[in-house]
Amino acid sequence: MSFRQRSPHGGGTSSSPQPPPRWSQGRKRGADGKRRKQNGTDLSVFDENEHRPSDSRLDSFTTPEGPGPLSRCSDWGTAVEEDEMRTSVNKEIARYRRKLLINEFSRERKSSSGSSDSKESTVTVELETDEVVLMRRQKQINYGKNTIAYDRYIKEVPRCHRIPGVHPRTPNKFKKYSRRSWDQQIKLWKVALHSWDPPTEEGCDLQEISPVDLGEMETESIGSNSTESQTSSQDNDDTYSGTPTKVRHVDYQAEGEFDLEACLSEPLKDFNTVS
Amino acid sequence: MLGPLWLTPIAKDPSSVDLEKVANIIVDQSLQDCVFSKEAGRICYTIIQAESKQVGQSVFRRSLLNRLQQEYKDREELRSRSLQAWICYVTFICNIFDYLRVNNMPMMALVNPVYDCLFRLAQPDSLRKEEEVDCLVLQLHRIGEQLERMNSQRMDELFSLLRDGFLLQEGLSSLSQLLLLEIIEFRAADWKMTDAAQKYYYSEVTD
Repeated sequence: MSFRQRSPHGGGTSSSPQPPPRWSQGRKRGADGKRRKQNGTDLSVFDENEHRPSDSRLDSFTTPEGPGPLSRCSDWGTAVEEDEMRTSVNKEIARYRRKLLINEFSRERKSSSGSSDSKESTVTVELETDEVVLMRRQKQINYGKNTIAYDRYIKEVPRCHRIPGVHPRTPNKFKKYSRRSWDQQIKLWKVALHSWDPPTEEGCDLQEISPVDLGEMETESIGSNSTESQTSSQDNDDTYSGTPTKVRHVDYQAEGEFDLEACLSEPLKDFNTVS
Repeated sequence: MLGPLWLTPIAKDPSSVDLEKVANIIVDQSLQDCVFSKEAGRICYTIIQAESKQVGQSVFRRSLLNRLQQEYKDREELRSRSLQAWICYVTFICNIFDYLRVNNMPMMALVNPVYDCLFRLAQPDSLRKEEEVDCLVLQLHRIGEQLERMNSQRMDELFSLLRDGFLLQEGLSSLSQLLLLEIIEFRAADWKMTDAAQKYYYSEVTD
């Protein structure tokens, strides 16, 4: 919890900004929880500029020319990745809104042609637009998608063949959900994806926490697999900390075959020779 | 795909190489070879695209940027160690800024660092070195317009320095003066080459 220190907005005419009426008036306890003396001589935070709490830095800040809040990270790799996520999310929400609009439009057309059973209300649904929330949700989704299990899943079951209720479906980050509800959806989704984990090898460090026998699951039908994994899997700490399990394992050959340095020591040939 | 021969196997199968190592090698090479550093942006772009499309990750980009940042932090030391390497570095980072986009936008994270480098080149001790002036104006030609769009205030400040440098700096060679005057006019013409400027600066003198 960071302590946000506001700069007092004074009338503008005085040389030193006027502090607002003491928040401590009428307060029984001070910020440290101890009871106040009633004579009101305790300091207001606005009186002493040096009196800053140790960690008053904001978690995020905006720059005037920037596109939005920047998180307080100092390495370029992360900054660019966040940038990318933010712009992608913005594009996605525009696309999602368009889709909703088109769906609504086509539904209205159908109902106007005579059919009276429209299950969904035609009231416009409120979408989640808070960037901070969307970025956090996107990160959680990315952790789930950046797994071997997810790779195998989408290869095995194309979207058109998915059976709702049976095949895991990525939670929709644009819908309004409470934090708990969302985190729970993510957890269940990731647990369901574990059905597609590759068979584990002996001595592999990335052992599943779940006691379910993966070897058997491969041969059984998909329906029973997902229910099994949902009921028998334990709470993965990973879900909340965000560490991916079974991350894509990127192999690379040892330096032997490809000597980049040797290539670079040769003079740079004409760039357009390779097509 | 355009590029040196060794780029092809990397781009074809990014997961077959240690991309972090490749990033470091490319940066090392850029610091030694100015010709290479001018083209490195395009090479990096190719690798980043390939990794993104085939593996869905950005290990190369991340390693590249973090290494770039490391060098940026120690740039003053780099400059005292080797003027040539410093010039190569500036060329490289500007090239990267030019080529690498994030969803069609320039990389925000690089804007201020690039400006910082250019401001450094506009300092009196750098203005006295022709190679640094040359580097400065070259980068401004290539990315000045973009940079200004991202932050016009800093560009104003930079050109304030350049004007002062042109007028007041001692020890400026005639060539450096010419270069500075040309870039000042170039920006004044909205980053475009006017016919008059073309004639004056770039045409052969005919008697």
